[in-house]
Amino acid sequence: MEERLYDLIFILRPDTPEADIDKVISTLEHAATEKGGKIDSVNKWGRKRMAYRVQKLREGYFVYMVIRSSHGEVVKELERRLKVSDPVIKYLTVRLDEELKRQEKLKRHRERRAARRPRKTVTPAPAMPGAEQAVAPTA
Amino acid sequence: MAEENTQQQSYGGGGGGSRSSGPGGGPGGRPGGPAKRGKRNFVRKKKVCRFCVDKADFIDYKKAEILAPFIQERGKILPRRMTGTCARHQRWLTVAIKRAQNIALLPFAAEL
Repeated sequence: MEERLYDLIFILRPDTPEADIDKVISTLEHAATEKGGKIDSVNKWGRKRMAYRVQKLREGYFVYMVIRSSHGEVVKELERRLKVSDPVIKYLTVRLDEELKRQEKLKRHRERRAARRPRKTVTPAPAMPGAEQAVAPTA
Repeated sequence: MAEENTQQQSYGGGGGGSRSSGPGGGPGGRPGGPAKRGKRNFVRKKKVCRFCVDKADFIDYKKAEILAPFIQERGKILPRRMTGTCARHQRWLTVAIKRAQNIALLPFAAEL
């Protein structure tokens, strides 16, 4: 089965100590590798203001990670862990590979069109010198 | 039948006439429009899809600052007719906004 790419963002309580944040991340990494997935990158966005209150909190500590796996079990396990983890107040997983595939397709399509366009402008160009040549002998 | 034909002809002729006068009067009429008073002058700027200008193949839900101009103060998603976004990008945009809302990057509704 082909590999899938997921975005996982979770928000921790803003008063979580740095050590606990790292602990949460490492347990998630463990869980992912155990289930045959792989965490590509972890990016701590840090404390940010949330757009609305969650559990009466206005701020949260955002962590963003990219996960690669060939089956959904990994996501299921990670979400289960996030759900039971106390400092986590919100999380979201988004499957991205299909959108990236579409992006690639559109990009290729545009490049092909861009490659075709110069040829269109080139084809009238030889006609122009030909016309000039035709004019030159009569003159 | 004959009446229909004449009507069509007259309609077509009138339409053609107005159309030919339209572009003819347009370049002269539109810049000269504000000077001529009395007639209705619609000066409407043509809105262009911002994502098409940027040649966006993907709208990232993580960049709340890109999505923010497309929601109202109250948190509603702005319609295409307001923002000029093309159909395809509006489709992507709504998905991105809804994702951002779910992870508290954008509000569902304005708070008190």
